[in-house]
Amino acid sequence: MRAILRLAILSTFVLIIATEPSYAYLDPGTGSILLQGLIAGIAGGLMVLRLYWAKVKSFLSFHGKKDEKADKELGSQ
Amino acid sequence: MTVLVDPGSFRDPSGQIYHLDNKVYRTICGDAAEHYEFARDSGVLAALVEDGLLIGSQEVDRGLLGPVGAAASYVVEHPRLPFISYPYEWSFGLLKAAALLHLDLQMAALERDISLSDASAYNVQFLGVRPQFIDVLSLRRYREGEFWNGHSQFCNQFLNPLLLRALLGLPHNAWYRGSLEGITTTDLARILPFKSKLSWNVFSQVVLQAKMQGVARTKTKSELADTKRKSLPKTAFRNMLAQLRSWIEGLEPLGGEKSVWSDYAEANTYKTEEALAKRQFVSEFVTATKPKLLWDLGCNTGEYSEAALEAGAQRVIGFDFDQGALDRAFLRSKHKDLAFLPLFLDAANPSPDQGWQQHERAGFEKRAKADALIALAFEHHLAIGRNVPLDQLLGWLTGLAPTGVIEFVQKTDTTVQQMLAVREDIFPDYSEAAFTAHLERHARIVRRQAISSEDRCLFWYDRT
Repeated sequence: MRAILRLAILSTFVLIIATEPSYAYLDPGTGSILLQGLIAGIAGGLMVLRLYWAKVKSFLSFHGKKDEKADKELGSQ
Repeated sequence: MTVLVDPGSFRDPSGQIYHLDNKVYRTICGDAAEHYEFARDSGVLAALVEDGLLIGSQEVDRGLLGPVGAAASYVVEHPRLPFISYPYEWSFGLLKAAALLHLDLQMAALERDISLSDASAYNVQFLGVRPQFIDVLSLRRYREGEFWNGHSQFCNQFLNPLLLRALLGLPHNAWYRGSLEGITTTDLARILPFKSKLSWNVFSQVVLQAKMQGVARTKTKSELADTKRKSLPKTAFRNMLAQLRSWIEGLEPLGGEKSVWSDYAEANTYKTEEALAKRQFVSEFVTATKPKLLWDLGCNTGEYSEAALEAGAQRVIGFDFDQGALDRAFLRSKHKDLAFLPLFLDAANPSPDQGWQQHERAGFEKRAKADALIALAFEHHLAIGRNVPLDQLLGWLTGLAPTGVIEFVQKTDTTVQQMLAVREDIFPDYSEAAFTAHLERHARIVRRQAISSEDRCLFWYDRT
């Protein structure tokens, strides 16, 4: 019984050690780099959205202008 | 006449601080020379100095420093700072001012294509309570798309210690003193209450960053390198800085007073005869001794520091262990633009020599010698509050400055009686006679004056 217990304790210990081998030595700034990577990703995404939005806007304003022109033409008649 | 390297400046291989003939020099070596030239020639250095954000630097003959100068590309001289202080001695207001300075400097520099290579709080020093950045070598040429290298350090050394007091009401000083690199995001994330994590700023800067730190553990080296290869657009960098700035600017100590100095409140505080007598005594002492650097031990809100400055002291460094008093002292100095720096200090356990080889950060007494000191309503906190024997206390005080004013508080005084109300009186020898005898062993008593109805006395001493 005691041997089993000892084995269990030992294997748990080994398991904990083995699953987080680099914990203490990891550069503490790595989390910040990943976070900034995320921000960079979001910023990139927003940029795409903005471009897309600009396209939509120019499409709409193109139609708007056309309508204005049409109104003027109608008005001048 | 020997060139001495500063023990706190070993980290950056591209240059170090040297002391010679009471002057301060910095070497600029290797790659750093190119970055320095870029900052200098683009006019950024001069502009930042002009705006008061950065310490001045004057190029001098490299030969001044002998072999170390010859090995460097440049040697610059910096003005000598009156007193070096460390973030674990700063109050909330000082740490916040330092954090905002760092961000302002970073934002101003970024506009001119310069970024800061790190975010060490030790690179900020104070003149009065005005912060100044002292590490010219941290200014590096910005490459479009690069990450903010100092972000994690900024969080550990500025943001997290501020959040500790703003979100939990805990002063950062003791923790920071034990952990010179600051308070890690992982540690802070563990102790923050759930409610505070609902804020977007806390969530993104603390919770998410701590989570990422955990995620980073599972990533391989090449996956991490991939992340590093991504680019952070300049606008995203700028927004990140601006967002942090506006968040930090709004931070206040939890449960503290509103951080606005009120002249009205001060003017309406009833000035007791005792306070007026103390002011008068301090003024006369300062007028006679004309100290360049005066220490105010137990400075409280800085009332007597201000009186000393009015009487002609050039600069006062105040020390106290009460955070509320330090907050108000900070506001007094800031509002009135005084040459007064109030710092956190527990006199029974002053800042030690610590860091690498126990030289990196000098202890309280090693950093500067005061020309004079005042210690008002201070002595009984140590003698009765902390059981420090009077002879040791007076030996220590008179050792700190050649001349000074020490207040003696009688045992019958209300505050001492309050201190003794809940504990055994183990101070049968605590008396004015004993105080005088011990003081006279170390110094000459120039003047003694009773200043209160409870017979509190001021002693002006001259070290023999």
